[in-house]
Amino acid sequence: MPLPRSVLADLRRIVGDHHVVHDANDLRIFERDGSIAGAVPDAVVLPANRDEVVQVVRLAARLGIPVVPRGAGTGLSGGAITLRGGIALQLSRMRRIVEIDTRGRTAVVEPGVVNADLQQAAGRLGLFYAPDPSSQKACTIGGNAAENSGGPHCLYYGVTTNHVIGLEVVFADGSVEWLGGDAPDRVGLDLLGVLVGSEGTLGTITRIKVRLVPLPESVVTLMAAFPTIEAASHAVSDVIGHGIVPAALEMMDQVTIGAVEAHYRAGYPTDAGAVLLVEVDGLQESCGELSEAVERVLRANEATNLRTAADAAERELLWAGRKGAIGALGRIKPNYYLHDGVVPRTRLPDVLRRVTEIGEHYRLPVANVFHAGDGNLHPNILFDLREAGIMDRVGGAGEEMLRAVVELGGTLSGEHGIGVEKNAFMPWIYAPDDLEAMLRVKHVFDPAGMLNPGKIFPDPERDPRLVVRAGFCAEAKWW
Amino acid sequence: MVVDGLEPGRVARPENAEQVAEELRDAAASGRAVVPVGGGRALGLGDPPERFDVALETRALDRVLELSQADMTVSVEAGMTLEALNATLAQVGQFLPIDPFNAPGHTVGGVLAAGLSGPLRLRYGSPRDFVIGLRVALPDGRLVSSGGRVVKNVSGYDMNKLHQGALGSLGVIVAASFKVFPRPLHEVSVETRSEDPWREAARALALPQAPVALELASDGRLLARLAGTTSGVRRLVAELGWTEAGPDAWEEHARQSGAAWARVSVPPVRLREVVDGLPAGARWWASPGVGAAHLDAEAVRAARAAAERAGGSLVLLAAPVELKRAVGAWGTPPAAAAWMTRLRDAFDPKRTVSPGRYVV
Repeated sequence: MPLPRSVLADLRRIVGDHHVVHDANDLRIFERDGSIAGAVPDAVVLPANRDEVVQVVRLAARLGIPVVPRGAGTGLSGGAITLRGGIALQLSRMRRIVEIDTRGRTAVVEPGVVNADLQQAAGRLGLFYAPDPSSQKACTIGGNAAENSGGPHCLYYGVTTNHVIGLEVVFADGSVEWLGGDAPDRVGLDLLGVLVGSEGTLGTITRIKVRLVPLPESVVTLMAAFPTIEAASHAVSDVIGHGIVPAALEMMDQVTIGAVEAHYRAGYPTDAGAVLLVEVDGLQESCGELSEAVERVLRANEATNLRTAADAAERELLWAGRKGAIGALGRIKPNYYLHDGVVPRTRLPDVLRRVTEIGEHYRLPVANVFHAGDGNLHPNILFDLREAGIMDRVGGAGEEMLRAVVELGGTLSGEHGIGVEKNAFMPWIYAPDDLEAMLRVKHVFDPAGMLNPGKIFPDPERDPRLVVRAGFCAEAKWW
Repeated sequence: MVVDGLEPGRVARPENAEQVAEELRDAAASGRAVVPVGGGRALGLGDPPERFDVALETRALDRVLELSQADMTVSVEAGMTLEALNATLAQVGQFLPIDPFNAPGHTVGGVLAAGLSGPLRLRYGSPRDFVIGLRVALPDGRLVSSGGRVVKNVSGYDMNKLHQGALGSLGVIVAASFKVFPRPLHEVSVETRSEDPWREAARALALPQAPVALELASDGRLLARLAGTTSGVRRLVAELGWTEAGPDAWEEHARQSGAAWARVSVPPVRLREVVDGLPAGARWWASPGVGAAHLDAEAVRAARAAAERAGGSLVLLAAPVELKRAVGAWGTPPAAAAWMTRLRDAFDPKRTVSPGRYVV
């Protein structure tokens, strides 16, 4: 529903004439994010600073217009979709790296700063920002904080919530608070902790303070091929079982390897059932000792074609294949759909077997490329949107895969968020009282439900899928 | 079981999570006040409770619920002590890097609710960074779970964070799941004394791989823990040039506490200026890389003012009631205190749990 002219005029007064998008054709650009969900916003507003965000949020609150913060739109769970219409608050103009403090090892950035740009700026000073989503060339730190994003190097270094130490937040009522800070312990409830990963449903992030880490003295990247995905899964458990937590431990299956090799020529053996990328970092002598230990464990688990990146260029190439894998899958089919369920690491062989069976059952190719060390799956279901009736099969396969994850003691999402695509499944992992406790938090911060409505929580009135799913809950058992 | 001079009318010793929830439900319904008690190691934390009807002792909830060695996760009931848990984990070559002061005897639930951490925070972060699931008895008697048993999880709000350091104000933790860590392949503890201990500490922190723990005390003693591969640790020990510490050094260090003591938490780069401002002869010990210091609660007013000026806080971990009433346990209320109060209202509207003791 288009916003009344008077509202558009007010919005223009706040952010300037050029920073309100309302033409129907222009709005379609903001219909989607990286997921398969879509909804056209009523208006897109591009504020230049926090005060403009406050004014927009106040105006929207007064008129009962939903507000959905949006970064680069690379999210994979529909977090940036204006499901109930309203204003998409596009934060890309707020893209200043405000400060990098090399002594305190922190950075303060605006939400629209691209992850890779922060990496580069920190890298020039001998530091790095650990969370490295595969979309890091485009995704923003604000989006990362809102979704609590992960990435390959989160195995050792931890995910976004472990690195965000401060947030400036504009709440639904237009009030502003700075949460957190540089001190290790803070007095009072950990609001920072609950805001990170709240998917824009509790407030809009307008500034982020992150912790930076010194670049390791040395890095060794290994690539190993395995005859089967099972053998590779066992190798993953075995490496960690030996007391070695590598910086990253990533797996790609045969379908992925084929697509990546055709595109990047990263040197992955195309006849392998699976490839593991293992990275260890730290002191020079430790890297030697650790990589030798890793090699021994991998060989004991049927590894072949073991290769260590000889230099930075080769390491970059090995990683380019991994990080660009999803794009490369476009060679097989034009569209993909992926979940990011997590299982306890030892259940990887079981869940991957189920994923294969489900793909076969629905006659859909599936490409697995994922954070094996964390047990964090990414089964990419490949399809062509132009094929009639395909979405029912894709949705059905995705749902069954997630169900398998939950049945094996896992959770719905490790790093992509719940958004609009998995909210109907939340009762699989949480009892009604668990969800009610989360809703208390939502109601405290956003009693009118104006911030990113329709996300995270199941909505049985609006989502008929819920009816089908009644009667199953594998919520955590505490004996 | 006296808290700030108050004695409870009754001591409840629930044997399971359901009984904890029942005690809370009954107390809320009848307007009584409950103070949860684990190992009793942090009972001095916070302002004096306004009322104290029931002491809710959790020590009978002391089981390991699930230990998955290969997944490196563990789920335990809240009344288990950290020592017992780490003894169990040691059998499978793993450990939980939570090392609060005033040890031994902290329970899992107590240390999480009180938001305590110790020297190992330098490398491993605080429990906030590796708690992956909680089960909490809400003041209205519901038992709710958050998180799960996987090491990476963004399914819904991260409720685990809200209950840590909340001193039970949103509910009483009855069980917790953790990501655990492999014991380092090799580890050496070293110590030294220095005329210029801060400079020496800075040198240790600037090693090509920082120590996993580094402590500095008012008597000029420095204690560091170096961990990693055998060859890596050998190099760090050589570069640092300190002497090897005795086997009990860390256990002894963790025993420190005081009848009246406080925790300073400031940005690490500001820690020295706050500690330097303490009166001559004051007893303190600090984690320079973390930004935390513990000290005897003399001259609390001046130290708190300095800590708050530095962008941090000073919290009383135990003190005579008169001192608590005079200066307050928590200091200047946090900026977002109004939101915290609203959250407390949503979870504990009758202030059933430790009324008056927490910040909100």
